[in-house]
Amino acid sequence: MEITKKIVILGQFGVGKTSITRRYLSDIFEKDYMPTLGVQIKKKVIELPSGNLLSMIIWDLEGFAKVARTRASYLLGSNGFIYVFDITRPFTFEHLDEEIAFIKEKYPQVVFKVVGNKKDEKDPNEIQAYLDKKNIKIDAFVSAKTGEGIQKLFTDLANTFGT
Amino acid sequence: MVMANVQEDKLQLLRDILLVDDREVANAVNQRLEVITETIEKREKLSEKVDPIIKERLDQFITEIPSTLGPTITKALQEQIKNSQDQVVEALYPIMGKMIKRYVQNEIKRLSETINKKVSNTFSFSSIKRKFKSKVTGVKESDLILVEADPPVINEIFVIQKGSGILLGNLSKTETLDKDMVSGMLTAIKSFVEDAFGGGSQNLEAIEYELYTLHIQNFFSYYIAVVVSGNYTRSFESKIENKLLKLSQKLSPKVSHLSREEIDRFLETFFEKWK
Repeated sequence: MEITKKIVILGQFGVGKTSITRRYLSDIFEKDYMPTLGVQIKKKVIELPSGNLLSMIIWDLEGFAKVARTRASYLLGSNGFIYVFDITRPFTFEHLDEEIAFIKEKYPQVVFKVVGNKKDEKDPNEIQAYLDKKNIKIDAFVSAKTGEGIQKLFTDLANTFGT
Repeated sequence: MVMANVQEDKLQLLRDILLVDDREVANAVNQRLEVITETIEKREKLSEKVDPIIKERLDQFITEIPSTLGPTITKALQEQIKNSQDQVVEALYPIMGKMIKRYVQNEIKRLSETINKKVSNTFSFSSIKRKFKSKVTGVKESDLILVEADPPVINEIFVIQKGSGILLGNLSKTETLDKDMVSGMLTAIKSFVEDAFGGGSQNLEAIEYELYTLHIQNFFSYYIAVVVSGNYTRSFESKIENKLLKLSQKLSPKVSHLSREEIDRFLETFFEKWK
C-alpha cells in the first residue's frame, strides 16, 4: 500500500531549507545561495518499516520572517512541518518560542520538527544555553553541507506517520 | 715538335668534349629553369599545373569531412550552444518565428477549407442537424462548425485534494511528468491565484496554455482538473461541467475511503464511453 503525505519546510530566508531538501532528495549540496521564490514541490517515496510505501510531497517554501506571514493556503492539508533555523544567525531563532507556539496553536494536528542547520559552522552547544533558558526543545542539529542528521530527520518524521 | 702538336690536339679534343657537354647541360638546365620560373610566376600557367592537384585533394577532403572533422565540429557546436544559449536562441528565433508563422498559416488555411466545405454543404444532413442543434442549444452555428473542425479532446484528468494538493486519482494518456508533482504545483498555482486575485472565496476555474486548456471544477474536499486540447468552446465547457457534476455525485460520498488505485479505476470506467 502507498500513502501520501504533504511535508512543508518552513523558516526564515537563507536558513538552508532548500539545501536540506536537496541533500535529502539528491544527496547534493550547493554552496551558492539561490533564494526560493514562491514554492518548490519535490517528491520522495520511501519504504516504511511495515513495508508500506510513503510518498512524501515536500513543499519547500520561500523564507518568511514569521510563519504567520507565510501564505496560509500553502500550509493547508499539511501532514508534517519541518521548521529550520540557522544556528550561526541569532535573529533566525530569537523568536523561536513564539513561532513554535503559533504553529502548535494553528496546526495542532500537524507533526512538527524543529531543526538548527549549519552545525558544521558552529558548535550547537554555544546556543544550547539560550534555548534551555527559553525552554525551547529542538529535535535535531543538522548540516545540509555535510549531510549530518538530514536522513534521520526525514526518517523520524516519516515514521511518525505510522504504518 | 710533331709530338707536341699531337699532345695539343688531344688536349683540345678533350677540352671540346668536356666543355661542349657542360655548355649543353648548362643550356638545358637554364631552359628548364626559365620554364619553371615562368610557370611559377605566371598565375595561369601555375593554375594549369596546380589546380588539378588541389581539386583532387579538395574532393578527397570533402569526402572525408564527416569522418575526420565531423566529431570535432559537433563537439565545438555543442560547446558553443551550451555557452551561448541566449545568443543561439536569439539567432534561431526569427527562423523559428517564420516556420511557426507558416505552420499557423497552413493550419488556418486547412481550417478555412474545412469550414468552407461544411458551409457549402448547406443542405446536407449534417448541416441541417447542426442548424437544429444550434437552435436548440443556443450555441452559434459558427462555434459548432469550429468544434467539428478541431474537436476538443480530453487528455488528462486529475482528482486533487483541496489544500494539500495530494493527488487522489488520475486518468491520463501520457506518462511524461510525475503526476504527484503536477498536482502539487497546480494546487500551489491555484492557491496563489486565489489568494492574490480571488477577492474573497472565489476559485480559479481555468488555465489556458498554448494549445491546451485546463478546466478546473471545485468540489467540497477536492477539485478536478481536466486537460483539454483542441477547440475548447462554451458548449464543451458546459458538457464537461455536467459530466463532472455527475461524477462528483458518485465519487464524493466515498472519496475519503477510496485508495488512489480505486479512484483511478473509477475514472477509467466513468470516462470509458466518453472517450
